[in-house]
Amino acid sequence: MTTPRTDRPAAVPPGTPGSTPDLAGPDGAARPGEYPSPLEVSAQGGGSMAGLAERAYLTRREGDAARERRRRRRAMDGVADRGAVSVADWRRPSVRFGMGGTHVLLLVLLVVAGLGPMLLLAKFAVTPTQDILRTPMAIFPNGIAWDNLDKAWNEVQVSKYFFNTIWLALGSWAVQMVVATTAGYALSVLRPRYGKAVQAAVLSTMFIPAVVLLVPLYLTILDPPLLGTSLINSFWAVWLPAGASAFNVLLVQRFFDNLPREVFEAARVDGAGPYRLFWSIVLPMSKPILGVVSVFAIIASWKDFLWPLLVLKDPLIQPLSVRLPAIAATTDKGVFLAALAISTIIPVLLFLVFQRTFLQGAGLGGAVKG
Amino acid sequence: MTATSAPARRRHEAPADKPARRRSPATWVRGGGLSNLIFMLPVIVIFGVFSWFPIVRALLMSVQETNLVDTRFVGLDNFRYVLADPLLWTAVRNTAYFAFLALLFGYPIPLVAAVLMSEVRRYKGLYSALAYLPVVVPPVVAVLLWKFFYDAGPNGVFNTILGWVGLGPYPWLQDATTAMPSLVLAATWAGAGGTIIIYLAALTSVPPELYDAAEVDGAGVWRKVWHVTMPQLRGVLFITLILQIIGTAQVFLEPYLFTGGGPANSTITILLLIYNYAFANSLGGNYGAATALSLMLALALAAFSALYFRLTRSWSTS
Amino acid sequence: MKSTRRAIALTLVGALTATALAACSSSGSGDDESADGRTTLKVVSLLPGSEPEAIDAFNEQVKQFEDANPDIDVVPEEYEWKATTFAAQLAGGTLPDVFEIPFTDAKTLVENKQIADLDTQFRTLPYADKFNPAIIDAGTGPDGHVYAIPAKNVYGVGLHYNRALFESAGLDPDSPPTTWDQVREYAKKIADANPGVAGYAQMTQNNTGGWQLTVNTYSRGGRVQDVADDGTATESLDNDGTKEALEFLKTLRWEDNSMGSNFLLDWGTMNEAFAAGQVGMYTSGSDVYTSMVQSNGLDPATYGLTALPLDGGDAGVLTGGTLAAMPAKATDEKKAAAVKWIDFFYLNKLVDQDAAVKDAQTLVASDQPVGTPVLPMFSKEQYLENQEWIKDYINVPLNQMTGYTDTMFDLPLVGEPSQKTQEIYALMDPVVQAVLTDQNADIDKLLADANKQAQALLDQG
Repeated sequence: MTTPRTDRPAAVPPGTPGSTPDLAGPDGAARPGEYPSPLEVSAQGGGSMAGLAERAYLTRREGDAARERRRRRRAMDGVADRGAVSVADWRRPSVRFGMGGTHVLLLVLLVVAGLGPMLLLAKFAVTPTQDILRTPMAIFPNGIAWDNLDKAWNEVQVSKYFFNTIWLALGSWAVQMVVATTAGYALSVLRPRYGKAVQAAVLSTMFIPAVVLLVPLYLTILDPPLLGTSLINSFWAVWLPAGASAFNVLLVQRFFDNLPREVFEAARVDGAGPYRLFWSIVLPMSKPILGVVSVFAIIASWKDFLWPLLVLKDPLIQPLSVRLPAIAATTDKGVFLAALAISTIIPVLLFLVFQRTFLQGAGLGGAVKG
Repeated sequence: MTATSAPARRRHEAPADKPARRRSPATWVRGGGLSNLIFMLPVIVIFGVFSWFPIVRALLMSVQETNLVDTRFVGLDNFRYVLADPLLWTAVRNTAYFAFLALLFGYPIPLVAAVLMSEVRRYKGLYSALAYLPVVVPPVVAVLLWKFFYDAGPNGVFNTILGWVGLGPYPWLQDATTAMPSLVLAATWAGAGGTIIIYLAALTSVPPELYDAAEVDGAGVWRKVWHVTMPQLRGVLFITLILQIIGTAQVFLEPYLFTGGGPANSTITILLLIYNYAFANSLGGNYGAATALSLMLALALAAFSALYFRLTRSWSTS
Repeated sequence: MKSTRRAIALTLVGALTATALAACSSSGSGDDESADGRTTLKVVSLLPGSEPEAIDAFNEQVKQFEDANPDIDVVPEEYEWKATTFAAQLAGGTLPDVFEIPFTDAKTLVENKQIADLDTQFRTLPYADKFNPAIIDAGTGPDGHVYAIPAKNVYGVGLHYNRALFESAGLDPDSPPTTWDQVREYAKKIADANPGVAGYAQMTQNNTGGWQLTVNTYSRGGRVQDVADDGTATESLDNDGTKEALEFLKTLRWEDNSMGSNFLLDWGTMNEAFAAGQVGMYTSGSDVYTSMVQSNGLDPATYGLTALPLDGGDAGVLTGGTLAAMPAKATDEKKAAAVKWIDFFYLNKLVDQDAAVKDAQTLVASDQPVGTPVLPMFSKEQYLENQEWIKDYINVPLNQMTGYTDTMFDLPLVGEPSQKTQEIYALMDPVVQAVLTDQNADIDKLLADANKQAQALLDQG
């Protein structure tokens, strides 16, 4: 699929495909803790109440959840229960050679398409500019230009823009987390009378594509209500609007809806107030969905271009996505490609190290979206 | 998901923490009114300022003319202006063309790849990792890299490689007929891995019993794929289709960075046109026209979403 | 314990609004005064991604200014005026306090009350009344007040060429072409001798397509706009000069194939391609050498500049330039500081010997260009005097620019079209792109369509 790369997450309506597992609710959820959750550390400090809740929850779900979990984990590890091709099929020569050949071909294609451009980029990153322009595919006819990398790092300051990129992603993530969890908790557990109205208003924004917001949101950032000062050239201009994701709220709220109420009752009997219930019971039980929302938040921020382009004009705070196009025409080609290479290598390394988490997240993302 | 949560909620109707009838501020606080409000505050403030308010503002702006200092009501003039702009139809055509090509390239390839990969018995992780690698590349970096690859001279990267087998040189982005396919090719490269992984996840949920049953009926590999796998993927396939259409209708990054809408407006898309209305005129944006056009696009997409809802509902109940 | 946890939870939910407010107040970067009472003045530095030596030279000049004006704190910001990004910056309030705009835009910005009236402060400059009237008029409002001050880069368009590529094609770099036919002939030779190189290249993007097509039109005796005495403007994009210019491009592109393979170029990417040796000849402002050294690492030895070929009785050379302006909301204090900066950085070095020498010394110390030919902002005599002052520091290869400098005072200069200039340039971009990327482009029809749309814009008023 061509990524629907809208610059803010596309309005993704909720839905239930008949065939995909219900990953958003605890029925299909993996064991808490399976997903890296930034709240994990603090949640562990939550004490016995959280432990109790977790145990109760686990016992109740043990049966079907465990089966589902094993199956999915094996599938992710590459040992599917079985696919369309059976063991008997594999024994037939036509299938074995046909399928085997196809798989080799597929692997070759994947290497060419997936790895090829990156290997080329790595080569160009250390090729002198004139060689890049005249004989791009010759193998270092005039030596290797290591100083491309040095210049990209020091003069182009990729490091600074990379840090900005990370910082933007972290802030957007934090804002989205706060909004989604508090809203989910209020709408699902506390349920004040006006909750229904708020919920309807939140959900209705799902039907408004991001593009409608482009201009009015820009003007709002220029002159935000109450603040009296423009948010342009401030990280908040990216962080705060990111929090207005109805999709996150919906996901979290639905997850909370399915949490066992008995545990809440028990906690209340023990004297836990709404804050404690939220912090020590609900959040620790919700790591799976928080993981999913985190993956979405980080990916969306990673892909964001148009919005930071509009609101972050100051080069000191721009992310790579805004800075790189701006300097394309004034940077030596070799150095520029070295800058692109450095911007690529860091996420690629992160991906290779945390491969399983990434792929699980992506698979989950798809399933949840569906 | 809906099917399970609705009864679940009914089961827990009338919880103890529902706010008591308000008598005085003190009882309101004791009844949890204050904590409710505190938890509601982030969503209300953030959505209020950054979603609801701008949406209302968009509706207003579409019937106004403003230079940010003076604002006046102009009725439907903005809509008339947009509809009379010859570029609008170019942009609509181009966007539809982008969506069409994106489906042509980006829909069957990941499906075939995912079905094949799900049958891989060894090194499956390697396949997935390779397929997903391009998705990890920051999108802007991917575009800038491909723009360099697409250099239309005989010394361009792609042209050199194709020259080895006697092809080209091709103009890629520098020709009105090849520019759009080039954009879509790069976008497909950047996005296909994500779709493959989604399909792979969906494939693991096909119940093995169905294959067993098909085998009892004597079905071969192809028939199993066609009659068991495909119907089971129907839901996820349909959803990726709709999401892709909604996504491609708002495509911006590729035309903006690759071609700026050129050559000769052959890659100007609706979102790029909106951007140009609002931000590209050095003497001040036509915000009214920009919001009018975005509302029209939103209406079209809402129709798509409604279709999506109708269809998914009928499926999940069937 | 319970209370601490409650406090944590409260902090969590309250964090959003509270920190947002706190950060906003601290992030307001538009503070008028620094803590020590100095006036902060954000000024244009260089293009994004400039060479480190250029940045050093600029910072040295900032230091000199701050030493002389201890009450002003100069904050340099990189800046590139682009038609397609300027409006968002203006509306967003993200422009520097002193920013640069082209001659074409000032009058409308004044009309829209988007730039500040600098008249009072401007009049304090000793040379305020010595400007060439045509040039000072570009930034003067209908009330006779000066809103935007001519700052630098008053250019006539010239033909830039790559001497190394000339030599590789067996051409004499010291006798550049003087007619469009020669340009065509030379372009073909360069392209044939250097596969992948454009013998002649043309800008097409971000309104530069319209700008350069206007240049080409003037050089063939055509005009694209006529403003009657009563102020009504008539667009004439379908004039013979424009048609001839497009036919010329069409021939080079499709018959000679001497224009290379990249037809989506704007001012910045064109400079990049030229500096990288990918372009044999192109037309642009005479001052572009400076920028190519500052930002693209141009090798001076390969650079050549000559006069634009002129063809036909009414042929002219398009001239334009850069004005310094301030946002409409600028305070008097800022205006005063800004005019001091404009005086120091842009103007005084043109009229004052000491300032001229000091400026040249600073630039030369960082190997930055001194002596790039521009058109006189005051008078020819004054310009020549200035060149005499800095004679010892001139480091641009003037002997490679004689084709231009020999005639620069005799050029039949023609200003840019005055009404809706940039908007109409934007309409012309796709016309030029179509001719260069579609072999069957119908020039007459393209021009007729563009003309109709341009006229509609003009009629809107």
